[in-house]
Amino acid sequence: MSTGLATLLRGSRRPPANDSAFLLDRHRRAVPGRETMARYPERDEVDMVIVGCGAGGATLAQRLGRRGWRVVVLEAGPFWDPDEDWVSDEAGSHKLFWNEPRVIGGTDPVELGKNNSGRGVGGSMVHFAGFVPRFHPSDFEVRTRDGVAADWPISYSDLKRHYELVERELPAAGEHWPWGDPHGYPHAPHPVGGGALRAMEGARELGIEFKVGPVAIANGSFGNRPHCIYRGLCLQGCKVNAKGSPLVTHVPDALAHGVEVRDGAMATRIEIDEAGRCTGVTYRSDDVEHHQRAATVAVAGYSIETPRLLLHSTSGRFPRGLANGSDLVGRGVMVQGAPQVAGRFPEEMRMYKAPPPEICCEQFYETDPDRGFARGFSLQTVGPLPIAWAEHVLADGHWGQALREYMRDYNHWYTLGALSELLPLPGNRVTLADEVDANGMPVARMDYGQCDNDRANIACAKQRLHDILAAAGAQDVLTIDRYAHLVGGCAMSAAPESGVVDADHRCWEVPNLFIADGSVMPTQGSANPALTIMALASRLAERLGDKRVGADGRRRVEVG
Amino acid sequence: MSESVGHLPHHGGPGPHEDRRPGLPRQRRGTSPQGFGRYPDFDILEQADHWDPVTRRVVLDRVERVPPIRLFDEREAATLGAFCDTVLAQDREPRIPVLAMVDAKLHARRLDGYRHADMPSDPQTWRQVARRLDEEAVRLRADDFAAASQGIRDTIVGRFAAGELEWEGLPVEKAWSVVMRMVLSAFYSHPWAWNEIGFGGPAYPRGFARLDAGEREHWERPAEFEVDPVADVKERGLE
Repeated sequence: MSTGLATLLRGSRRPPANDSAFLLDRHRRAVPGRETMARYPERDEVDMVIVGCGAGGATLAQRLGRRGWRVVVLEAGPFWDPDEDWVSDEAGSHKLFWNEPRVIGGTDPVELGKNNSGRGVGGSMVHFAGFVPRFHPSDFEVRTRDGVAADWPISYSDLKRHYELVERELPAAGEHWPWGDPHGYPHAPHPVGGGALRAMEGARELGIEFKVGPVAIANGSFGNRPHCIYRGLCLQGCKVNAKGSPLVTHVPDALAHGVEVRDGAMATRIEIDEAGRCTGVTYRSDDVEHHQRAATVAVAGYSIETPRLLLHSTSGRFPRGLANGSDLVGRGVMVQGAPQVAGRFPEEMRMYKAPPPEICCEQFYETDPDRGFARGFSLQTVGPLPIAWAEHVLADGHWGQALREYMRDYNHWYTLGALSELLPLPGNRVTLADEVDANGMPVARMDYGQCDNDRANIACAKQRLHDILAAAGAQDVLTIDRYAHLVGGCAMSAAPESGVVDADHRCWEVPNLFIADGSVMPTQGSANPALTIMALASRLAERLGDKRVGADGRRRVEVG
Repeated sequence: MSESVGHLPHHGGPGPHEDRRPGLPRQRRGTSPQGFGRYPDFDILEQADHWDPVTRRVVLDRVERVPPIRLFDEREAATLGAFCDTVLAQDREPRIPVLAMVDAKLHARRLDGYRHADMPSDPQTWRQVARRLDEEAVRLRADDFAAASQGIRDTIVGRFAAGELEWEGLPVEKAWSVVMRMVLSAFYSHPWAWNEIGFGGPAYPRGFARLDAGEREHWERPAEFEVDPVADVKERGLE
C-alpha cells in the first residue's frame, strides 16, 4: 500500500525546506534574486564565511541561511548565467573547469581541470555527468570489513536521512535501487538510448544487472525547472536547468534566506588570533585584497584547493599550515579509476544523444574474495562527444588517416565506463609547489600513484566492461585508462592523530574551522561523490544549526 | 593555404589519396575537411538557426573568424602547421585551421588546469616540439619538418606517437599528449568535422527525440558509407 502511494506521488512532492526550484524563473535560466541579495559589510563579523560555492558550500549555506545564520560565501569563479555564459558546445565549455595553474606528479599523475574540478557558483556539479548514487553502508567500515584504508567516524545511518532529503531537492530520478541500502527515488527513471538498452541486454546474458539512474535530472518539470531535452551535453553545463547543480538546487533558496554569495572572490588566507581561533578570511577580488571577519569559517574548496588554502595559511602557531600539526593536510587524496571501454555496433548508436548518465550497476561494489583484491567497482554509461571520443581513439594509438577513419565511424560506437575504488595512500598528497599564481599564492601540486590493489581492481573492471559489450554484440572494442572524481585530502577521523577533522567536520586543531567538501571523505567507494558531499554538508548544517551562534554576542559554535 | 582552389570541383580532381578509404563519398552539402565524409548530404550549419544565439556565435566564429597566428613565429608556424596536417591527415583543402585555433587558445592563455612537474608550460611545450621536429627532419636529411616529404613527416610523427624519440628535457609521451589534446579539441570542435562524422551538434533548445539504435532526427541524414575501422585500418596498414 505504502509502495503504491509512493509511486502515485512520485515526482509531485515538494522538498520540505528548499524552494529553489520554485524561485527560479520559468523563462530565463539565471538565478533571480542576485539584485536583492543580502550584502554584509566586511568589518562586520558574520556568523560564517564559507569558501567555495559548490556541492558542499552551497548546501551548507542554504541550510544555515534557513536557520537565520548570517552567511557569506566566497566563490573564486563567476556567478553563472546559463543563458549568456554557457554554450551547447564541447570546446566552448572550457571555462567551466578550474583552469588555474596546478602541478601534477607521482608515478601515475592525475590530469586536473576538465572532468574533476569546477570554478564558479555551482562548483564542479555544473559540469558533472549527473550520476547521484549513494554510498553503501560498507563504505563506512572498510577497515573493519576488508582490512584496508580507514573506517569513517560516522556510519551510513548518520547520512541516510540527508541522502533522502538531498535526493528530493536535486531531484534524483531512477529505478528502485537494489544495492547497498535498497531504496527508491523521488522521480521515475528516464528513457534511455539504444546503446544503453543494448548494454543492458548484453549484461543480462552474463547475469549482470543494470538499473536506470540514479541521475540528478528531474523527470518531468520540477518547480520552474523544465524537462530534460536529451541533448546529451550534461558535461557542458545544463542550459536547460533540468540537471541539478547547486546553482539551481540550493543557491536560489540560500539567497532568499539572507545568504550573500560573493563571486570572483579568491580566498588566499584564513586568519587566526592568538588563541588559535580563526577570525575571518582574506581574499582577492578584482586585484584588491579584502578581508571578511567571521565567527566561524567553513572551507569547501574541494580536494585540491582546500588543502592548498590550509597549507598556505601559516602562522607562528601553525608554521606548517593551518590544522596541519599532524602533517595530514593534503594526504590521502583519492581519484577513482575510470577506464572506459567502447564497443562498435553494426547499427548507428549516435551516443551523443540522451544524457551521458543513463544506467548503472553496483553488483561488483563490495569485496569479492574470488577476485583477489579488496573493494570493487561500479559500471556506468559515459556518452563521449566528438572531442572526448577523439581522445579515446588517440589513446588507442591512432593518428593521421587511421584516426580520421575511426572518427568517421563515431556514430557506430557506444561507451561504458567503470568507477574503481582506489585506496587512500598517505603518499598521494596535495602540497604547495614553488610556482605562484597571479595573486602570488603558491599553486597546488598533486602527487599520485596507484598500489597493486588499485591496478587489480581497474583490470578486473575493464574485463567486465569488455565482456558486457561483447555479449551485447559489439564487433570490436576499444579500451582506455583514465581517472574521475576527486575526494579526500583532509580526512575525518575518530582521533586527532589520524585525520584533519572530527566527525562534525571541525578541524581537530582549530575549534571554529570546519571543512565541508569532499576532502573530508576517508574513503571513496565506487560511487560518484556529489550526492555524498551534499548529504555530508546537510548533516553538518543540521548539527551546527541546532547549537547556533549565541545571543550574547559571543559567537561560539558548539557542536554536540 | 587559403588561396588554394583544391576544394573547387574542377581543380581538386580525384588526386592520389591512397590512404583514404576507397569509396568514401565526396561531401555534397556544406563542407567537410578534405571534402569527404560518410554523410555527404548532412550540413550541420544548416541547423544553425535552431541553436541558441550564444552557442551559434561560438560555433560560427570557428568558420567565419579564423584568428591570425600571434604566438608562434613564422618558422614555428610552418613546422607546426605541417605537424597538424600530418597528425590529422589534412592532405588537401579544405582544411580546418587547427593551428590558428591552437595559437589563439595559447595566446589567450586558455590553458588546461594542470602541468606535469617535469614539463614546461603548454606554450613552451609547443615551441619546443616545433624545434625538435625540425631537428628530427634534418637528421633524416630534409631542410626542416615543413619542407620534408610526407614520408619523412609520417616517420617522425609515428615515432613521436609511439614515444620512440628521445628529446632531452622534454618527456616525449607527455609532450605528445599535450599537443594532441589541443589538436583534437580544435579539429573536432569545428562544424566541418561534424559533417564528416555525422554529429548532431548543439541541439539546444530543440533537443533530441529519437534515441533508439538506428534512429535519427528528421534533420539528421543517413550515412552513405560504412566500414568497421578496426579491421580496415589493420588491413590497409595504416598503423
